[in-house]
Amino acid sequence: MTNTATALLEVKNLRTSFKHESGVEFSPVDGVSFSVHAGRTLGIVGESGCGKSVTSLSIMGLLPKGQGRISAGSVVFEGRDLATMSIQDMRKLRGDRMAMIFQEPMTSLNPAFTIGNQLIEGIRAHRRISAKEARAHAIEMLRRVRIPSPEQRIDEYPHKLSGGMRQRVMIAMALSCEPKLLIADEPTTALDVTIQAQVLDLMRTLREETGTAIILITHDLGVIAELADDVVVMYSGQVVERASVQRLFSEPQHPYTIGLLGSIPKLHLDQSRLNAIEGQVPTPMTQVTGCRFAPRCPFAVQRCRQEAPQLRDIGGGHEAACWLAPLELVA
Amino acid sequence: MSALLRVDKLVKHFPVQRGLFGRAKVLIRAVDDLSFELNAGDTMALVGESGCGKSTLGRLLLRLLDATSGQVWFEGQDLMAMSATQLRAARRNVQMIFQDPYSSLNPRMTVEQTLVEPLALHGLAEGRHRQRAIELLDLVGLPAQYLQRYPHEFSGGQRQRIGIARALAVEPKLIVCDEAVSALDVSIQAQVINLLQDLRQRLNLAYVFIAHDLAVVKHIASHVAVMYLGQMVEYADKRSLFEAPRHPYTQALLSAIPLPVPGLKLQRVFLQGDVPSPSNPPSGCRFRTRCPYAQELCARDVPQLKLVEGHAVACHFWDTNHVPAVTTTTEVVNERLLRLQQAFSGSVSVQQGTQVHA
Repeated sequence: MTNTATALLEVKNLRTSFKHESGVEFSPVDGVSFSVHAGRTLGIVGESGCGKSVTSLSIMGLLPKGQGRISAGSVVFEGRDLATMSIQDMRKLRGDRMAMIFQEPMTSLNPAFTIGNQLIEGIRAHRRISAKEARAHAIEMLRRVRIPSPEQRIDEYPHKLSGGMRQRVMIAMALSCEPKLLIADEPTTALDVTIQAQVLDLMRTLREETGTAIILITHDLGVIAELADDVVVMYSGQVVERASVQRLFSEPQHPYTIGLLGSIPKLHLDQSRLNAIEGQVPTPMTQVTGCRFAPRCPFAVQRCRQEAPQLRDIGGGHEAACWLAPLELVA
Repeated sequence: MSALLRVDKLVKHFPVQRGLFGRAKVLIRAVDDLSFELNAGDTMALVGESGCGKSTLGRLLLRLLDATSGQVWFEGQDLMAMSATQLRAARRNVQMIFQDPYSSLNPRMTVEQTLVEPLALHGLAEGRHRQRAIELLDLVGLPAQYLQRYPHEFSGGQRQRIGIARALAVEPKLIVCDEAVSALDVSIQAQVINLLQDLRQRLNLAYVFIAHDLAVVKHIASHVAVMYLGQMVEYADKRSLFEAPRHPYTQALLSAIPLPVPGLKLQRVFLQGDVPSPSNPPSGCRFRTRCPYAQELCARDVPQLKLVEGHAVACHFWDTNHVPAVTTTTEVVNERLLRLQQAFSGSVSVQQGTQVHA
C-alpha cells in the first residue's frame, strides 16, 4: 500500500464479466483494485463466490474462452497491461515471469506423462537449453521442494505420488523458471493438516530463497495469518477491506471481516457460541443497490441500503468500504 | 448408568485384491479393534486425517457397512446381530448427516417429500405429515414456504439444514455427523454449528461428530477420540485432550493448525513423510514411522490403549514425551472486536427464534 509506482502488479478497477445462458451478462468480479510489491505476499480472503478465484484467472489470462472476459479496468504487470495483451505474449509470460498453483494437485498434473516430462516441458518452453540440462534443472527443482530421491522420482507418474508430494511437484513446476509473481489458489486446502504444515513451511522457505511475490488465495484465515504480509478481503465480487495482516486481525474495520473472524471456531480461545453471520451471500446475478453486505450487517443504516460505499483510507494505509468505518463509535 | 452406544472390538477389513479362488490377498485395515462408549446427550468427536478410518467407523455405527468382527451395542442391543427388519426399526434411533449437501438429497424430491418419507417409513405423525414437516423446517431455521421447493433451489448451507431436518424427522437419540460442516463456508459453517448445538440441548441428542477440523471439534465436542490408521491412539474429554495431549500424533496434529493470529510463533512438531498404506501398516506402533520420539520398543510391541485418570492413550512413552505448548496463546482478548462480533449474535436470536445461552 506504499508507492504504487514500484508495484510489480497493479490491478485497477478490474471487472470480469461472464455471459449467462440466458444472454444476461454478470460480473463476479466488479471493481477490484490492489497492488502487489516485489517480494511481498498478498493474501486474498473470502468465501465461495466472492470472486477471488476469478480475479486470479483474470490476472493469468486463464478465463474460459468465449465465456469470460475482462470488461473493464487494467492489470498492469511489470509495466505492461495484461488485459489487452495478445494470447501469444501472454503465453510467453505465463510459466516464466508469473506462475500459478491450484487447489487440486490431483487434477492439475497430466496422468499420462511422468512428472519429469511435465517439468521439462515447462522449462524448455521458456528456456533455450538442452533436454539434458533441463532434466538436471528439473531434478534440482524437485530437490528444492524436498522430494526424497528426486533422481528416481522424476520418472514416476503422478498417480504414484501422495497428495502432498503432488502439490510439491506443482510448486517445483511453478518455480522452475524463477517467476517474479506466484499465484497460489487454495494451495493447501485439499491437504491434510500435518501435510499442510509441511507445504506452508516449504512455501515460506522458498519465498525467502527466491524473493518471489505471492498472491495467496484462501478461505482459511489461519493460513492468511501465517503467510501473508498484506490482506485483501473480498465479498460478492468487491474488495471490502485492505490492510496489513497485523492491522486486519487486530483492528478489522469492515463488518464482514469482523463477522468472518467471529465465525471461525478458535483453537486458542474458549467460547460457548460462535457469532455467525446471518443470511446468504448474494449471487452474482442479483442486482444490489447500496452496500452488498448490508442485508447481513447488524450495523447497517439507511444510507447503506441506498448508496454503495467506496473503498477509502481510514488511516495508516488501512482501507475499508463501509460508511460507518472506523467502527469503534457504533459498538 | 449404561451407555447409549457401546462399540466393542470393532474391526472392518476391506479386501482390495483377490487371489486364486477368491481369497483376499491384500486387506485394507480400515478399522482395527476399536472400542468406546457414548452416553446420551454427549458429543464424541472422531478426528484424524484422510484414510484413518473415521468415516468407515461412522458407517459401521449405522450398519451401512457390515463389520468384519466386533459389536455395536445401541441401548443394549447389538446392531451387528440384527435382522433386516429389526435393523430398520433400530435406525429410527440412529441417523446420519453427510458431508456433501449437494449429493445427499434426492434432486427429484421436494423438501416436503424428503421430510415425509422417513415419517411414512416409520409410521410417525400419521395424518399430520405436512404439519410435522413444517415443524421440522422451523426447528432448523427454515420458513414453511420452502416445502414445495427442490434441492437445486437452495444454497449449500440451506441444503445442510434440510439434511439435518430429515435426520430429525424420526426423533433419533444419536446422530452421526460425517464431516457435516466441512464443505460449508466459514460464515455458514458457524450457523450450522450453532444449530447443531441448539438442537442437542433442546432434544437431548448425542452426536458422533466425524471431522478433520480440530478447531470445530474443540467447539462442539464433549469427548474426543483421535484415530490413526484404523486405530484409536487417544481418547479423553475435550478439556484434557486439548490442554494436555498425550500422544505424539495428537500433539503434532494440534501444533500443525494455522491459528488466526499473525506473528504467532508456534512450537510446531513437523511430521516426516506421509501416512503409510493401511494395507500394510508398520509393525508395532503404527505411528512410529512418523513419530519424532520412536524407539526400538515401538517397532516391536503394539502399544495398548492405557487409561490413566480418564484419559486414554496408546503410546509406550506418553509420560516421558515432551508436551509442546500447542493451544495456549498469550493473546490479549480484544474487547472491541468481541463486542462488535456479539452484535452479529444479537441478530441471530431475533431472526431465528433460537435461544442464546450465556
